[in-house]
Amino acid sequence: MRKRFRPAHLLRTLALVVLLLATLLPIVWMLISSFKTEDEIYLARPTWIPRAPTLANYAALFNQFGFARLTLNSLCITLGVVAISMLFGTMAAYGFSRYRFPGSAVVMGALLLTRMITPASLVLPLYSLMQVLGLLNSWTSIIIGITVLNLPFVVWMMKPFFDQLPHEVEEAGELDGLSPVGVFWRTAVPMAAPGLYSIFLFSFVAGWVDLLFGITFATTPHATPLTAGLMQMQTGYRIYWGPLMAGGIYLSLPTLILAFFFQKSLVSGLRVST
Amino acid sequence: MGSAMSRGRTVRRGVARWRAGILLTLPSFLFVFVFLVYPVANLVHTSFRDFSPLRSSASPFVGFKNYDWMLHSDTVWHSLGVTLAFTVLSVLVELVIGLLVALLLARLVMEMKSAGARFLGKAANGIFILPFAAPGIVAAVAWKMLLHPQFSPINAILGVQIPWFTDFPLLSIVVADAWKTMPLILFLALSALLSIDNAQFEAARMDGARPWQEFLFLTLPGILPVLAVACAFRAVDAFTKVFDIVFGTTGGGPANDTQVFPLLIWQTAFSNLHFGQAASLSIFAIVISAGLGWFLMLFRRVR
Repeated sequence: MRKRFRPAHLLRTLALVVLLLATLLPIVWMLISSFKTEDEIYLARPTWIPRAPTLANYAALFNQFGFARLTLNSLCITLGVVAISMLFGTMAAYGFSRYRFPGSAVVMGALLLTRMITPASLVLPLYSLMQVLGLLNSWTSIIIGITVLNLPFVVWMMKPFFDQLPHEVEEAGELDGLSPVGVFWRTAVPMAAPGLYSIFLFSFVAGWVDLLFGITFATTPHATPLTAGLMQMQTGYRIYWGPLMAGGIYLSLPTLILAFFFQKSLVSGLRVST
Repeated sequence: MGSAMSRGRTVRRGVARWRAGILLTLPSFLFVFVFLVYPVANLVHTSFRDFSPLRSSASPFVGFKNYDWMLHSDTVWHSLGVTLAFTVLSVLVELVIGLLVALLLARLVMEMKSAGARFLGKAANGIFILPFAAPGIVAAVAWKMLLHPQFSPINAILGVQIPWFTDFPLLSIVVADAWKTMPLILFLALSALLSIDNAQFEAARMDGARPWQEFLFLTLPGILPVLAVACAFRAVDAFTKVFDIVFGTTGGGPANDTQVFPLLIWQTAFSNLHFGQAASLSIFAIVISAGLGWFLMLFRRVR
């Protein structure tokens, strides 16, 4: 009996390992290439282990491509998105979960439809609005663009977490004389911590990976995020492959690390968001 | 008297709650109103004007001219076709690979006895989520390198010299996109698989069911609702949101063969600077999104 199952088991494990390696390939190849010299990258027979490993590509990011400033821009944009999304989003999700008020169903429905909107269709009108407000080429404009699409998503993802909470604790809080806002802040928010992790992760990723608003609203390194910086390394004349690969690793590291360690929160977020 | 008092309190609490509900949702509502509803209204306004800031700052009213252009432009219909093909192929690839990995992982988790299997299971969970968290632009440049005509390691392994992004542009962006979004299907399918009652399998095995019968009559019906919803969401997202992967690899080429709709909107606005036409395209995209969104809501309710 045991023997009959062994080959199938081995085959399955093998298949899984192959699929794992295939999944890792783009990232691993990027990592390998980022340590190669330019000459080695251009070899027709690619090498799997860099012959003369170098950090020159990473140094070029900061010396040649201004990554120090771009990193600051990306960080501030991401922080802005996370802060607004989490504060407003949690409040709204709780409001929709616990209270019925005139128009609540309509507003909730409208927010949910926003989740489906084509981001590219909002770029032009927001560009015009930012121009009028004098906010083009600023962190604020990019934060607003990302957040307006992320916020409905956060509400939609956070509401089920509040729906699941038992009402008893909040009622006890109410009897203790807490105002509704106090009940929300002191009892509901701490209890919904798993949901907060999820929306933190999703908001962080949304802010950090955005390309669309960054590349449209930022016109100088003053506001350009890292994602747009990567695009600028591929000009019509030449592609700086080495620094591009190093930049790709640099840009993806924060989100990859977060995802690897908070895989559970990310997946539970995925589950409620579909 | 007791009941009158409690009624008074309920009413007061009722009003307080009513106010709290509005207070809590107001910031989000205002934010979305100012930065979404107003811009969309402005979009409608722009879509009736001939506005090309490169040519002139004037934007005369031209009625339905932009919409007329949109409905009769080969570029637009070609782009919609490309987007549809991209969506179907991408979701199909994700579904097949995601489901395969989910089935393998579920078996591994259920049979986890050795320390090695447990380690593999944990590592696999952490690794398979990575593409999902990788920035789209990073996925784009990584695949641009992997499929490069001169120094592609995939070509080297296969022993061929194929310029993938030139000869098979749609397939190439599908592969890059499916790589990035496969984890969604995978993890939704996995959690559905793991929630199927194990006793059913044992009963089936006692009755002498074959593995394929188990899959067809137990596993598949158990996860079908979740898979259907996941695929529907993925399809809508693929159709309405694909941008970074194409922007960072082919830029829509060769010869518009990968010019997906969101990219067409962006390029019409910011490469060609035809704001009026871009506005009509944006309105069209929003109408499509609303329709698809409405469909998804119905779909969820049916489930």
